[in-house]
Amino acid sequence: MLALAAIFYLVASWMVAPGFYDGFGPTQPYNWTCPPPQAGANLKPSSGHLVIKVIDGSSDPNSAFTDDGQLVIGFLPGAFMVDGKTSITVDVTPLDSCPQPPGVRFVTNVYDVKASAPLDPQKSANLVLIYSNLEPDPSDIYQAPAPDGPWTKLPRSQQGQPFTIVARTTTFGYFAAGYPATSAPPGAVTVGGGQLLPIIVAVLIVLVVLAGLPLAVMRRRRSSRGKDA
Amino acid sequence: MIAAVRSRAALRAGAVALFILIAEWSRAEISRQPGWTLAALGVGGAVLGVAAVGWPPESLGLGTSRFGLRILGGVALGAVLLLPAAARSGAAPLLPAGLALGAVVVSIGEELAFRGALYAALEELGGAPLAITGSTMLWTLAHVLSHPPEFLGAVAAAGLLLALWRWASKDLVGPILGHVIADLAL
Repeated sequence: MLALAAIFYLVASWMVAPGFYDGFGPTQPYNWTCPPPQAGANLKPSSGHLVIKVIDGSSDPNSAFTDDGQLVIGFLPGAFMVDGKTSITVDVTPLDSCPQPPGVRFVTNVYDVKASAPLDPQKSANLVLIYSNLEPDPSDIYQAPAPDGPWTKLPRSQQGQPFTIVARTTTFGYFAAGYPATSAPPGAVTVGGGQLLPIIVAVLIVLVVLAGLPLAVMRRRRSSRGKDA
Repeated sequence: MIAAVRSRAALRAGAVALFILIAEWSRAEISRQPGWTLAALGVGGAVLGVAAVGWPPESLGLGTSRFGLRILGGVALGAVLLLPAAARSGAAPLLPAGLALGAVVVSIGEELAFRGALYAALEELGGAPLAITGSTMLWTLAHVLSHPPEFLGAVAAAGLLLALWRWASKDLVGPILGHVIADLAL
């Protein structure tokens, strides 16, 4: 019965990526532009649009976000250099491709964030990117003026929710979260080039049988002794 | 007399189930608030552990006999829980360090509550079949708020596996260890 339950679990958890999940990861699966092989069914990432009012020459505080919530950018009061405008538009669009510049490994989609007015350099915007638990944690958010670079790290802010990364920016452009490709991905354990782990797991499954049998034998012996008595 | 004993056991099982459900749902709601995730995990796990207070260790499946086998069983259960994720990807992502302690506390708390106190209360009421099915159903219901609906099948299957281990081996050390290992990895 225990073996049947193990098989039932393996089938049920195989149907949802990553498999075992106890609520510490993101509550929604990440919507990928280029899903990794281990991702299950994938939805296309969403874009976002925001109109910010300008009152008495100062822009309102507000946040632009994609409809799936994977990117949120927050603006302080008067964050924009309005230059006579009565409103500011902000557009967030996921890039259709997945650039992987040399020296950096991106683990999120790349987003194009545009606005109809530049930011006041004294009032940086707060940028939050959600990332997936299917990829290693990113160490930084990178920004570039064009998809082909050059990509630069943004100063990180204190981390908020799990599986989010936060940074501050004073300019718009392209944004993605990732880690330096020359370093080991933060938080990831790769044993022997990533091939040994499944083998270790398989060996441990054999151990469950080895552990289960003696326990069952002892239990039966004990219960039969009880009956005899 | 029998009816009185049964009604007392039913009352106790109901109270334990309600306590666990409220604790789990509160934990899920609080952990959604920015900056409260770690506190919700730690405090929520500790509150769940309270469900086991007052139960004799042997009725919870806690003991030191065959301890090596219990540990080995726990490692093996952890391996089974992680197998789908490990098979999908050669590298297993580890939980961010900041969440690890909270994950350990909540894993222990959940096992003490579901496969410990609730299992014991239901077993007292209706034997092993009720304990296994009842603890699995409540375990699944308790995760409704913290998990996307598509994960609930896997949650139920994991609960059933851990409950069956608890029944087959009369052991809670294995489920605790297996749950901790799986939570630390994902």
